[in-house]
This record gives sequence, structure tokens and C-alpha cells, in this order.
Amino acid sequence: MNRLNTHTLYALALRLAPLSLFAALFIAFGLLSDRFLSLANFRNILTQSAHVAVMAIGMTFVLLVRGVDLSVGSVMYLVAVVMGLYLTGLPLVLQIPIILMIGAIFGAVNAWFVTRLRIAAFIVTLATLFIGRGLALYFSETKMVFQSDAVQTLGRSSFMGVPWAIWIAAVVAAAAWVTLTQTPYGRQLYAVGADLESAAKAGIRVKPIVFSVFCICGACAAVGALISASEVGAAAATFGYQMEFPVIAAAVLGGTSLFGGRGGVFGSIFGAALVQTTENGLVMLNANPYLYPLVNSLIIFVAAFVDGRRRVLTERLEQRKIRTEA
Amino acid sequence: MTEVGNVLTNSSGETLSRPAQALRWLFFSDYLVLALTFVYVGALWPFVPEIVSLSNLVDIFLQVLPLFIAALGVMIVLMVAQIDLSATSIMAMGCVVGASIMTSEGGYLAGSPIAAAAAIGAFIAIGLLIGLLNGVCTAVFEMPSFLVTLTTMMFFSGSAVWYTDSGSSIGSLPSAFLALGYGGIGGLPYAAIITVALAVAVHVGLTRTVFGRWLQAVGLNPSAAAISGVPVRRVVIGAFMFSGLLSSLAAIIYTARLEAGTPILGQRILLDMIGAAVIGGVSLFGGKGKVIGVLFGVLFLSVVDNGLQLLGLSLSSVYAIKGGVILFAAVTDAVRHNLMARG
Repeated sequence: MNRLNTHTLYALALRLAPLSLFAALFIAFGLLSDRFLSLANFRNILTQSAHVAVMAIGMTFVLLVRGVDLSVGSVMYLVAVVMGLYLTGLPLVLQIPIILMIGAIFGAVNAWFVTRLRIAAFIVTLATLFIGRGLALYFSETKMVFQSDAVQTLGRSSFMGVPWAIWIAAVVAAAAWVTLTQTPYGRQLYAVGADLESAAKAGIRVKPIVFSVFCICGACAAVGALISASEVGAAAATFGYQMEFPVIAAAVLGGTSLFGGRGGVFGSIFGAALVQTTENGLVMLNANPYLYPLVNSLIIFVAAFVDGRRRVLTERLEQRKIRTEA
Repeated sequence: MTEVGNVLTNSSGETLSRPAQALRWLFFSDYLVLALTFVYVGALWPFVPEIVSLSNLVDIFLQVLPLFIAALGVMIVLMVAQIDLSATSIMAMGCVVGASIMTSEGGYLAGSPIAAAAAIGAFIAIGLLIGLLNGVCTAVFEMPSFLVTLTTMMFFSGSAVWYTDSGSSIGSLPSAFLALGYGGIGGLPYAAIITVALAVAVHVGLTRTVFGRWLQAVGLNPSAAAISGVPVRRVVIGAFMFSGLLSSLAAIIYTARLEAGTPILGQRILLDMIGAAVIGGVSLFGGKGKVIGVLFGVLFLSVVDNGLQLLGLSLSSVYAIKGGVILFAAVTDAVRHNLMARG
């Protein structure tokens, strides 16, 4: 009994670890810089983290079924290029469904290779990362691609005092939360991630579910491109380059496991905010820009460490149960 | 691989003609990638005849050597069903620290006769230490190696830039060290001698030693290996340290050729290394990998790269074609797998 209590305490500490990290960062940055703890700066952090949050939500779907999508950065660039080169004449209401389609189709290509040919998602998306960026560079001829006025206005304006970037992220988050927690599809997704074979035996059609998560991730990457491109106003050849790293990091920081079956929407938003808070705080402190990757990687490392410990603990608890029954 | 080919030709071989049988054997053998390399060269020959010129072949050969060493490290980690993304950061870190030790412009050991040797020691120590860190985090703390090596990659690449203050490169390296790049004995480059010795050592290590068996066992089924008395944790840590060691040895050759220490050393070859290993038949799920396969994979990617450069293609096409090649290799592997399973 006593042992169980220590375990619950340990589990609680592990669950609270990302939150305490967040709090510690806030206090540290707040003490070191008087500009950090202001309403305007919080709004900045949220706006800047919106695109990572949206993409991390999409990544969460893929990670939940033990997949991974490395091609999100390339999808982001491809979408931004297509938007700036070919869709400038269209109103925003038409642009958005088109880019969502592009993202989803790109995801469907990944999904086809993963589900049909059973190639590891890591390799498929590594290859499409290159193909997607190559395709986009071919369209853009490696030049800067400027966005239409409609897209740029979206980045500058706000609705009810809140920037559109945050509204868009909120809508995506709400839709994803409802899908994951309130629908049969969401429950099946968790089941497939937790134990693929048992899920298949229980009559869940695994392949369509795995297929769909890649499409969702692609579409989310397209939304991320819209948000980011509307803020920057243009897409350089490095737009979205290596974006997969902060996106996966945000999802994992938020408690989504790389081993499938565990994670959620709010965790991913939290993770994105954490990554962005660090960056923002370092800017506020006028830190040496070469330190950014060092601090960022340390924070991701801590999150991965906690995730690993938590998984080991869960496994141990499950093992004990089996032994007492026997 | 030959036994699989034999089984196939025996089971349904009577009706096949000899060339068809040969093609079938080739499709299932390790030599498929090599054959594809020749097909590629043959296809490009009419457009860029210089691809088969002696100087170009020497170029390709010299390019292959360090990439091959690094890809062998990737293979060993893949064999225990883990992944190592940190190789390029090990190269960058070793490169700047090693160069700062031996450079004659204010290096720690400038002008000293042991400067080059000390720098090489530093390269190797950095490779082993980062490998140890990766291995301990993966094996003891049970963190996913993808994330562990991702963070070590970010951290040490960042550190290398920070170490050199804004990423300037360090020149004036001692000539004894630079000889490792292009020098040699009796026409044989040192780099080639080192590479061949390492390749043979890895091959023997994998096929003839207990550690090689352990690597395979851990990769195929870690729990079964643990029950059978394999020290799983130590094997995984060993695999990561070995990968780090090989990365640092590749970095020594790259640095000696570049004649400078720079924090962006090897930044672009991470994908080539993993791609070469996978094209060479190393499974991402562990337990499967051969030195000769990796050699063919590295050769294939280098020749593809070289051909694209000779054709003068734009950056976008090079990106897209490389991605396509990796996907093609993965698809071929999947198709072969399915066919073999059907027998």
C-alpha cells in the first residue's frame, strides 16, 4: 500500500513536470526581464505559437497511432508557395479549402505508402520531405514568394481584439478536441495507438484510421502555413525548413507519447506555447542567438526524459498487477 | 540472400528461362542496388560522357570513403532497432574542437609535435562521449532514441557554432593532419586504407563475434535477448558509442580535406547516411544489416548525386530526385519483402 502511494506521488510529479517547467520558465524570465510579464507580450507569445500549435495538433493524430510525419515543414512551404503564386486572385474563402485539400492530398500520399506498402512512416515522410520541398522550390524557382493582400490582411487584423491567428488555432483545437474525445472515430484512434492488433481483433478497421491521420496532419500543416505566411507576408526558400522538429517537440512536450495511444489536443497547444515562450523569453533577455538551440534542445530533452520515465512507471504498475493475480 | 534466391528458383524455376532466372536472382540479391547504379550510369552516359572519365570516378571514390564510414555507424545503431540523428553534430563538434587544438593560429597546442595526435584524440573522445550519452539515455532511461539523438544533434550543432563564435571557420591546420585527407602511401590514399580496414573490422565484428550476434539478437527481439542473457543495455550503449566513433573518424577525413574546422561540417549528409543505409538493405526495425549492402547504398547515392551535379540540375530537382530515390528504395524493399513472404 505504502509502495503504491509513493508510486502515485511519483506519477503525479511526472505528470506535473512539464507544467512546473513552464512555471519555472515564466518566473525566471519574469524576474530577469521586466517586459516579459505583460499582457501585450502574452498575446505575442500566443500569436507566435499559433502555427506550431496547429501543426502539433495534426502531429498528435499521427503520433497517437504510432506514426510520425517529418514532411510537415515541406507541406508548409509547398502550400505557401502555391498560395502566393497561383491563388492570389481568389478570395480567402476559396483559398482556404484549396490549401486544405493540398495538405490533405500530400498526407494521403504519405498514408498510401504507409498503409498499402507498409513502409515505415519515418522513411516515407523523410522522402516526401525532400520531394515536397523540391517540388515547391521548382515552383518558386527558389525566389521569395509574396502573399496576396487578403492573406497579409489576415495576419495584421484581429477579431474582437484577438488576432486571427489565435482564432484559427482555437477553431482547429476545438474541432480536434471534439473529434478525439467525443466521437467513435476518436476512441478508435486511441485504441489503434494503444494496441494495433487488439484493435484490429475488436473489429476496428485499422487501415482507414491510419490513412486518415496522415491526411489530417497534412491539412493542419496547410493551416500552419496559412497562419505563418499571413504573419510574415512572404515565403522565402527556407520557409518551414526543419519545422518538423519544433512541431514534434511541442506534441511530445505536451505529453503525447511517441509510442502511441496517449496524448491530446491541449497538451500539444501547451507544448507549442512552451517552445515559443522560451524563444520569446530569450529574445526579451537579448540572449546570444546561438544559445537558442541549446536552451530549446535542453527543454525538449527534459520532456522526453519525463515521457520515458512515465512510460516505464506505467509498465511497472501493470506488471505488478499481473503478478498479484497469479 | 543467396539461399532466398535459390528457394525461389527451385520452387517455380523450371518454367523460367535462364535470363529470367538471373534477373529474378538479382532482384532478391544484395547486388540489386549495385546493378541499379550501373543502369543509372548507363542511362546518363549519352548525356554526360564525363561520368565515366577516370577523374570523375576518382572523385566519386574519394567522396564515398568518409560517407561509407559514417553510414556504417548508422547501420550499427539501426541494427539494434534504434536511430542516430546525432552523427552530423558529432562531426561538427569534433571538427571545431579538434581544429582549435591544432591550428597554428593560436591553437591550444599550436606548433607542438603532438598537436595532430592530440586533435585526433579529441575527435575520437567527442564521438565516444556523445555516443555514450545517446546510449545511456536510450538504454538506461528508456527514452526514444529519435528524440534523444534529435536533441543531442540540436545541442551539439548549436554548441559547435557557439564554440567558434558565430560560425567562423578555423584554418591553418598542421600538414601532418592534412595528409589524412588526400595523402597516401604508394598511390593508396590513407583515407582508403582506413575505410577498408574499418569496413573489414565491422564485417568481421558483425559476422564472427559474439558482440555481432548480440547486436542482431537485441535488434530482433530485445526481451528475448534479455532472457537469453544478452546484456541488452550494454549492447545498445556499445552500438551508440561505436556509431559515435565512426562519425568522428569520418569527421577527421572530412576536416583534413576541407583543411579547416567549421561548425557546419557534415550538416547536409545526415540524410545521405540514413538513406544509404536503408537503400543498402538495413532494416529500420532492427536485426538486419550488412557491410556490403551499405557500401552499395553509399555508392548508389554518391553516383546519383554526382550524376545530378554533372547534369547541372537545379537545387529543386536534386532535392526531389533524392527523395524519390529513397522512396524508390523503400518501395523496392517492401515489394521484395512481400514477395519473399509469399515464397
